[in-house]
Amino acid sequence: MKDIREDIAWAKINQDVLKSLENPRKLYWVILFAALSIFSVGVGCEIYQYNVGMGVENVNNPHVWGLYIATFIFWIGMSHSGTLLSAILHLMHADWRKPIYRFAEAMTTFSLMTAGLFVMVHIGRLWQFYYSLPYPNERGIWPNFQSPLLWDAMAIFTYLSSSILFLYVGMIPDLAIARDNIHAGWRKKLYTALSLGWEGTDRQWRNFRVTYLTIACFLIPLAVSVHSIVAGDFAMSQQPGWHVTSFPPYFVAGALYSGCAAIITLFIILRYVFRFEEYMTLPILKKTVRLTFAIAMVWTYLNAVEFASVWYSHDQASKDVLIQKATGPFAPFWWGMIFCGSVVPFVLSIKRFQTNIPVLFAVSLLLNLGMWLERWMIVAPTFSHGYYPWTWDHYQWPSIYAWGMVFASFGWFTLLFMIFCKVFPSVSMYEVKEMVYHRKLHAAKGGNNSQGAH
Amino acid sequence: MSVTNLLENWSQFRHFHPVDDKPHDPYKWAMSIDLDTCTGCNACSVACFAENNIPVVGKDKFEHGQQMHWMRIERYWDEDVSNPGGRDFPDQGAQFLPMMCQQCEAAPCETVCPVAATNHTPDGLNSQIYNRCIGSRYCSANCPFKVRYFNWYDYPTDDSVWPAEMNQQLNPDVSVRSKGVMEKCTFCVQRISAAKVTAKNEGRLVHEGEIQTACQQACPTNAITFGNLVDTESRVHKQWEAQRVEIDKDKQEKDEEKGGTDLRGYRILEELRAYPSVMYLERVRESAV
Amino acid sequence: MIESGFDRRDFLKVLGWGGAAVALTGCGNTSVQDGKETVVSYVEASDYMIPGVSVYFNSTCTQCEASCNINGRVREGRVLKLEGNAASAINRGKLCGLGQAGVQHHYNPDRVREPLLRKGTSGETITWEAALKLINEKLTGVSGDQIAFLSGSVSGHLKVLLGNYMDSLSSKNHFVYEAISPAVQRAANKKSYGVEMPKFSLNKAKVILSFGADFLGSWVSPVHFSQQYAQFRKGVEGKRGVLVQVESKMTLTGANADRWLAVRPGTEGVLALGLVNALGAAGTALSADVAAAVKDFDKARVTKDTGVSGEHLDKLVALLKERTPSLVLSGNGAEGYAHGSQNAAAINLLNHVLGNVGKTIEAPAVVPFPQMLSANGNSASLKKLNDGMAAGNYKVLFTYAANPVFTAPASMKLADSLNKVGFKVAFAHYMDETAMAADLVLPLDSALEDWGTHIAEYQPEGGQISIQQPLMEKLHANTRGAGDILLALIKQRRAEEYKAFEDYYAYLRTAVLQNKAALGGGAAEDDTFWDETLTSGIVKVAGATTALSGSTAVTAPVAAASDAQYPLFLIPGITANLRDGRHANQPWLQESPDPLTTIVWDSWVEIHPKKAAELGIVEGDMVEVTSKSGSVKAQAYLFPGIHPDAISIPLGRGQSWGRYAKGNGVNPFQILDAVFDKETGELAINETRVQIKKTSKRVIVIKDEGSAGGKQFGRKIAVSVSSNEVDLSKEV
Ligand SMILES: Nc1nc2c(c(=O)[nH]1)N[C@H]1C(S)=C(S)[C@@H](COP(=O)(O)OP(=O)(O)OC[C@H]3O[C@@H](n4cnc5c(=O)[nH]c(N)nc54)[C@H](O)[C@@H]3O)O[C@H]1N2
Ligand code: SF4
Ligand code: SF4
Ligand code: SF4
Ligand code: SF4
Ligand code: SF4
Repeated sequence: MKDIREDIAWAKINQDVLKSLENPRKLYWVILFAALSIFSVGVGCEIYQYNVGMGVENVNNPHVWGLYIATFIFWIGMSHSGTLLSAILHLMHADWRKPIYRFAEAMTTFSLMTAGLFVMVHIGRLWQFYYSLPYPNERGIWPNFQSPLLWDAMAIFTYLSSSILFLYVGMIPDLAIARDNIHAGWRKKLYTALSLGWEGTDRQWRNFRVTYLTIACFLIPLAVSVHSIVAGDFAMSQQPGWHVTSFPPYFVAGALYSGCAAIITLFIILRYVFRFEEYMTLPILKKTVRLTFAIAMVWTYLNAVEFASVWYSHDQASKDVLIQKATGPFAPFWWGMIFCGSVVPFVLSIKRFQTNIPVLFAVSLLLNLGMWLERWMIVAPTFSHGYYPWTWDHYQWPSIYAWGMVFASFGWFTLLFMIFCKVFPSVSMYEVKEMVYHRKLHAAKGGNNSQGAH
Repeated sequence: MSVTNLLENWSQFRHFHPVDDKPHDPYKWAMSIDLDTCTGCNACSVACFAENNIPVVGKDKFEHGQQMHWMRIERYWDEDVSNPGGRDFPDQGAQFLPMMCQQCEAAPCETVCPVAATNHTPDGLNSQIYNRCIGSRYCSANCPFKVRYFNWYDYPTDDSVWPAEMNQQLNPDVSVRSKGVMEKCTFCVQRISAAKVTAKNEGRLVHEGEIQTACQQACPTNAITFGNLVDTESRVHKQWEAQRVEIDKDKQEKDEEKGGTDLRGYRILEELRAYPSVMYLERVRESAV
Repeated sequence: MIESGFDRRDFLKVLGWGGAAVALTGCGNTSVQDGKETVVSYVEASDYMIPGVSVYFNSTCTQCEASCNINGRVREGRVLKLEGNAASAINRGKLCGLGQAGVQHHYNPDRVREPLLRKGTSGETITWEAALKLINEKLTGVSGDQIAFLSGSVSGHLKVLLGNYMDSLSSKNHFVYEAISPAVQRAANKKSYGVEMPKFSLNKAKVILSFGADFLGSWVSPVHFSQQYAQFRKGVEGKRGVLVQVESKMTLTGANADRWLAVRPGTEGVLALGLVNALGAAGTALSADVAAAVKDFDKARVTKDTGVSGEHLDKLVALLKERTPSLVLSGNGAEGYAHGSQNAAAINLLNHVLGNVGKTIEAPAVVPFPQMLSANGNSASLKKLNDGMAAGNYKVLFTYAANPVFTAPASMKLADSLNKVGFKVAFAHYMDETAMAADLVLPLDSALEDWGTHIAEYQPEGGQISIQQPLMEKLHANTRGAGDILLALIKQRRAEEYKAFEDYYAYLRTAVLQNKAALGGGAAEDDTFWDETLTSGIVKVAGATTALSGSTAVTAPVAAASDAQYPLFLIPGITANLRDGRHANQPWLQESPDPLTTIVWDSWVEIHPKKAAELGIVEGDMVEVTSKSGSVKAQAYLFPGIHPDAISIPLGRGQSWGRYAKGNGVNPFQILDAVFDKETGELAINETRVQIKKTSKRVIVIKDEGSAGGKQFGRKIAVSVSSNEVDLSKEV
């Protein structure tokens, strides 16, 4: 089965995709409104927390980090999907990525923007957050370049700006299409401005390809480093359960994993909401699912490596944390993580489920839940069972305000995403056309592979 | 504003101690705490509240683990007491341990702070700059002893903490911390600074006995000794020396020799190589009863 | 010279030096001129008030009866911190947590600020003039026997004034009450050693065997004893002192013992006699009387009665024989029973048998001014007052430094008795339970605003009078010192004698200067001497020592029969921070964890883990503790340091007043049975039997101890070493 039908007319592609920019269906408004409401819950929580103090998160000594940090890692992880699909698979010439990478790339940007919020709501003095930036100042005071948190701030900022750039650059030809197909109003002005006078000339295409490839090449190490650095927040510390050398690859694998799971979820939603059945096809879904399964196994392996290296080391404190995770009050969550992260993905290995939309939808949500639990199980148990037994606190539970903000982050993400989908083409028109064009030409030439597609 | 400025300042605020080319001189503040005389009476902890404007958080916040005592007295039972098969009674008593910031020489809290709000002073203190702190709490996350206390709420404006009149007790030499910043034992740095200024004005060094930390001053059993480790005349120096505890080692003579060494000085979690500035002396229990 | 009107002897009496066994020279040269001296204001600029510079004033801690000498840090006219006065023989520059919280007593937002007169169920502010006039009216036509004054322990010139006031009312009804006191022991000591409170030289002992005396926590003079304890640990002749504590509920002192012996409640005396017997058997010389008295207390019986194993007994006997001198102490743990006096006598006997009397039990120094010596409170006096009130004997009652409505057991029905008193005047710092029951409330200065002299009951070395002086200007315009109030009251009766003293300060100054020479002032100028006195905060006097004399007579202690319906002993916890609860509204003390359980802000029921398992109780279960006299509900805390036959609830919580005290915990005083020590009539606080029932509610116990429950999991945090592995004499 082909990834997409090869005989879709170019005009139809334009029409289908551009249609997604127009006349929101009722369902769209429902989702948008719901997202807004959910987000405003978080705004309310934050206003309260800002006024009263961080204590409303119900964090304490020793649990100085709580849900916000766990959720921060979760969203950072989520962001890796876009880079995986748009940059890595681009370099690998995996064509099937083409209809779906755009929204994945948007996901990257928006998850980063969501993750950033959690850093903000986490710090005790939000109003002084700029102290952590190396801005020039008369007093010659600089941030601490030794701190992984500072690397974090820089890496995330770089990653976010590069991702936005990548998303935008990749969209230029499509923006021109939109410009040319829309005749008046703010959209016309917006697309005209953003398409930077794209004419589709040879020279433009050539420059475009080089630019896109360059950013893609730049983005890949960046994505790896971002989550490695987030891993470094933990691995660079000296705490039992965190001071693990395999954390960076483990975090990256986890990131790709949760990113893939989220792609499946969004794939299914978009396919349904924007009626993109033509482009977001089952064969593509199947490929994504297989990729997800592979990553799930990598993640499981790295998990096992971590446990084994802790178990067979002489670091009793770390071992105690591991035992505590498996047997203490956090055990339901920890085993939940193992179940969702390492057992549930086997459903994906079963052929007939690889295209079963309801099953995949449910599985993808479970995988995401597992990945969220993973982050929480990285953060909380170490705090509850550190080096110093006197301060052990196995029963810390986040407050409703903290949960409120975690909940709201999904609203915020959805909100951004929904707006994006109505303003920008969420399927790459020019690349889908490449797929269609490519294959027709190919057929006409009688299967001569040596001929270029262009 | 230049790179030079950056680099210069960088080398300024990262003091690594102890290093051979930059030995502690003329001061290195340190403590020793004798667990055999500490009775667990809590006088030191209350003194620390009084001296350092520590907020009393109240029942609800204490329940949530948000208490602020920079000096906490831990009470341990022997491992086998009231365990199945163990002793019914703690018939060798309990053991008390005063725990506060250990003023680590290679402090794990310092390296991770994104804004360098907590860093090392040349006289070997782990200092905390409230104004600089953004409240990331990374320092606390990385402190092995968990002796950092965060201002989860805005205690100065909380009417139950320092209501009218009660606020008149606040020590003007110590700032009152607002919400969102980290705090911890400072070794009563305000007392150290005052003594250093006096000594400097008089053209001399601070001498032994001139500075007492508030906890030390209150302690009815003199279990706490504080002083300048560099000063060979100081009691703390003599105690460390007698116990063969060296600040930049992670294994002391006592650990290396098996059996009775007549030494009972040790530092907690020394193997983590934070090089704490507080030496504890083991509790002794009579063998004849 | 003071004008005529009354003679010199009266004058001495007025000033409290009556009966002084010293020559009163130089008293003709007083500088007091019609009492015109005024106290220098502490907030008006003067040369010791440099902004930004702290000044220190010496005064006396009144948070408990030990009368430690404090050194208050004052800056910009505000007292900031209390530290110990290094010159004090009592506390040598040290201070306990309770003492430090004195500033929170002073700055307490819940202090009473105006005189209040009862109007139905509420109070109405009145002026001091009106209040004093009202008291005068109420006293008019009332005979002396119908007037009673209930106070806590008092000493110094306040006691003199109070005595003189009662005298002026022709009343002999001054009841000195302390809910928690070593009263049984005073009586036992008087018999055993000839003095109520000998000098205990902990620092000279090689072994301390303490039967429930919490000398590190709340017993007699804890800061002083803590210092001696430190010396004792460092060792006499290089040999580290050994502490053995015998008690049913672990105290702070018990927690520091080398050997903590959990004894069946009330059998301390049996154990003591058993030890005497065993010592005799081991060759210690016993007089015939003593030998006869202890002959039934053989090892088998003692082991059976007390639950202390024979092995421990043997070791203890060997230790006591080998290491002398030792010191045996008896405390509330052993004395709070109906046979408490017998227990105490048996324990004291050990000191005789071990030859400690004269070595570690020494004759105390006695401050040679009997009129000023401490009137020591006890609980028998409250019973006496209560009986009198119940019989309708009293028309007017004054209360000062006592809160009997809170501390009396409900079984005494004190509230009913109070209702029979026509007019009740409370000298009060707070609107505590007793102030709430009063008709007239007189707001007191805080201890840091007031003048006074104190003579501690326990005099460690030589004799000393502790001076209390204001550390700062009054916080509230309308509070008054207890001395000032008494002076105003006595002037209503004896205007002529007291007219020379404008205020209590003038009275005190006169009194001190009158005895300049005796107080070591020599030929110094009055002003100089006065300044020096205030500066040092301590007047050391050559204490006369009385010789110890005592009997070794004991009667075998007989424990009360057990009670099937109420199978457990309730041993109320006496904690260093809260004691009888008068300072419960000081937040530092509420948040300062109980050293043993680390619980804060609330009450708890200590129960042995085995007993708890038997009853299906786990930590945090709300349990109902019921005695014959009532019941309270509190959270259970599983505590290995308690005998399984007993439970413990700390005293001092469960107030109905004060923003920091109210609503936190329960008041176990309430459910104590009215059982009294047979010899002294003291309330037997450990004698109440209770039953315990689990309720359906469970709470989170608010404590500092974390989920690890005081275990270290081999992480070498708090490390111990056996005494034969170290040699403390080599240490710095
Ligand atoms: N103890 C002590 N005394 C000192 C000094 C010291 O260091 N210590 N320093 C001395 C010196 S150098 C000086 S300059 C003097 C200063 O002495 P002052 O001139 O008395 O200075 P301030 O205390 O600043 O008081 C000025 C008053 O002006 C009011 N004010 C502020 N803005 C305005 C305005 O726009 N219009 C009007 N009408 N009023 C306004 C303020 O509220 C305040 O009440 O003090 C001298 N006295
Ligand atoms: S004890 Fe903790 S807070 Fe103190 S210096 Fe060491 S790591 Fe930092
Ligand atoms: S809480 Fe403050 S001191 Fe601690 S790491 Fe964060 S910014 Fe630094
Ligand atoms: S040294 Fe000072 S700040 Fe540190 S615990 Fe002692 S009193 Fe508190
Ligand atoms: S004051 Fe001294 S004896 Fe009391 S708990 Fe503190 S260190 Fe121990
Ligand atoms: S022992 Fe009593 S008098 Fe001494 S400091 Fe403590 S409370 Fe004050």
